[in-house]
Amino acid sequence: MGFLLKRIGQMVSVIIAATFLAFAAMNSLGDPLFNVVGFVASVDCDAVLAGEIEDVSGQGGTNVGDCEVVEAAREKYHLNDPLPVRYVRWAGDVIQGDLGVSFKNSMPVSTVIGNRIPKSIFLMVVAEIFALVIAVPAAIRAAYKANRAFDKSATVSSFGFISLPNFALGVILFYLFVVKWQIFPSRYEDDDLFSRLRSTVLPGMTLALPLAATYFRLLRTDLITTLQEDFVLMAKAKGLSDRWIMFRHVLRPSLFSLVTVFGLSTGGLIGGALVVEQIFVIPGVGRTFVEAVIRDDFPLVLGLVTIISSSFIAINFIVDIFYSVIDPRVSRET
Amino acid sequence: MRLNLITTRRGFKGLSPQDEDSSQIDDEKRDKRKIGFGFWVSIGWMVLVVMAAFLAPILPIPDPDQTGAGGRLDAPNWDNWFGTDTNGRDMFSRTIWGSRISLTVGFFAIFFGFAVGGPIGIVAGFFKGATDKFLSIIIFILFAFPGLVLALLIISILGQTLSVVCLTVGIIGVAPIARLARAITISTAEKEFVAAARILGSTNRRIMIREILPNVTIPMGALAFLGMALAIVGEGGLAFLGLSVEEGFSWGKMIVLGSASRTLQKAPWVSMFPIGVMFLTVMSLNYAGDRLRDFFDVREMGIGGG
Repeated sequence: MGFLLKRIGQMVSVIIAATFLAFAAMNSLGDPLFNVVGFVASVDCDAVLAGEIEDVSGQGGTNVGDCEVVEAAREKYHLNDPLPVRYVRWAGDVIQGDLGVSFKNSMPVSTVIGNRIPKSIFLMVVAEIFALVIAVPAAIRAAYKANRAFDKSATVSSFGFISLPNFALGVILFYLFVVKWQIFPSRYEDDDLFSRLRSTVLPGMTLALPLAATYFRLLRTDLITTLQEDFVLMAKAKGLSDRWIMFRHVLRPSLFSLVTVFGLSTGGLIGGALVVEQIFVIPGVGRTFVEAVIRDDFPLVLGLVTIISSSFIAINFIVDIFYSVIDPRVSRET
Repeated sequence: MRLNLITTRRGFKGLSPQDEDSSQIDDEKRDKRKIGFGFWVSIGWMVLVVMAAFLAPILPIPDPDQTGAGGRLDAPNWDNWFGTDTNGRDMFSRTIWGSRISLTVGFFAIFFGFAVGGPIGIVAGFFKGATDKFLSIIIFILFAFPGLVLALLIISILGQTLSVVCLTVGIIGVAPIARLARAITISTAEKEFVAAARILGSTNRRIMIREILPNVTIPMGALAFLGMALAIVGEGGLAFLGLSVEEGFSWGKMIVLGSASRTLQKAPWVSMFPIGVMFLTVMSLNYAGDRLRDFFDVREMGIGGG
């Protein structure tokens, strides 16, 4: 129990630190006001209001009216308060589910993200299913007849897929299946489950193939290690069938590192689908994030960073806990 | 059907310790001691690419920005080996020139990653205790951001210049590099020669630089190759998000330009050649890194599965 509490405390403090870092960096290095009121944000308004700088309205310059807009915006977004105060206020709102309002279209950030997140999660689930469906049988077959033709070709091609950047794979798949053979639609369709699935196959594959290659290599190595154990020899001596030994005795203890990497990559996919969503024009979280960054939509960027990194941390946390369930030594070490 | 318990033993990474088949252990050792032919092929390819990038200004190739070096979207031919793009620019020449930014990012990003991550890892692993806790928390927080998310955040704040891109991709590398350096330092610091140096009255700084650093450097070399591959890919990813360098062009930017639907339909070579060259380069780096890692046997120190 103490272990669990300690881990939860750790997770919460890392989330706080990460969001504070993002919050502070964006606040102090960027100019959040610029995107609301335009270039007047950079003018020294205190001086204008105090009459120290000439009122140049009508000459295309700043005037008192502009400065009142800036002041109003500052008030509205609480930009006059010191940084920690603003962070605490912001964090308090976030806990209550209020991520602020997007600068550009004044929609609540939570609504924007809420609309986009299902598409990304769907893509992620499809990709992980593809990856496991490809990797697990291949690894079992490769480990069963290690160093034979199948094992060798699978190992070599897995190396190739790991080295193929996902955007390159995306472009190649897009070229083959959309442009050349026209099997899949070129734009994202989301009318019903079928069209959604159809639109997700290619991006799913783009994410899945390199993942499958990683899973394959890990599981193959672990299976082969387990196959060397004495209990396998014992089972063999008892006359159990190979199939039974493989699935009942060898597979489960070999899943350890696969579980870890599965967890980590699931977390990674939340943010890592950025590029793939861009290529296949999927209106998911990744694409929203890129758009928000390019438009400097400050609340939206912060909201997305919070959501993405929190889920990333949370998944790592779950993997950790899962670890200690499988292997109680883990919790005793820390 | 039978399980290959005996015939399949050669070349496995995971031997159980109780296994005492000596011939097999010899095989294992031999496998590790030989770095292999493939390693040198990879190095050869890398040398070729780096040379081409360095010598680009004096190579007899057309100016990469010169329009009309051939027709528009010409297929590969004797004059334009890789064909031409929508503006009639020679793709072979562009691929060579594009390698300059890609390789620069690859190199300097990993350089930055090592310059920051290495010392953090060594200091954390050496002093342990509170220092270690503090530095580990920093590493942990860096890990909390998925790579590209962190990159986007930094670039959106600092702008899209070459040095910012290098720095950004480098920062992504800091956490894994520091973690590995820390793990190796912890295991090295327990060795006898470190204890000997301490008894002889060496200062902590001297021990870290003279005793620990050399032992950390060698296994980290493998990571440098793998990291460079990741950095080159990372720059390409940024290019796809429209956040790579604004001036000039890299492989990533070339692939983006070539991947517009219409260009892909009429002239797939515009994107496929840069993809091919990038793939070979990344694969060479990965393969060389992998071989080195096996050669120095740092697998169990926690960079596996990357």
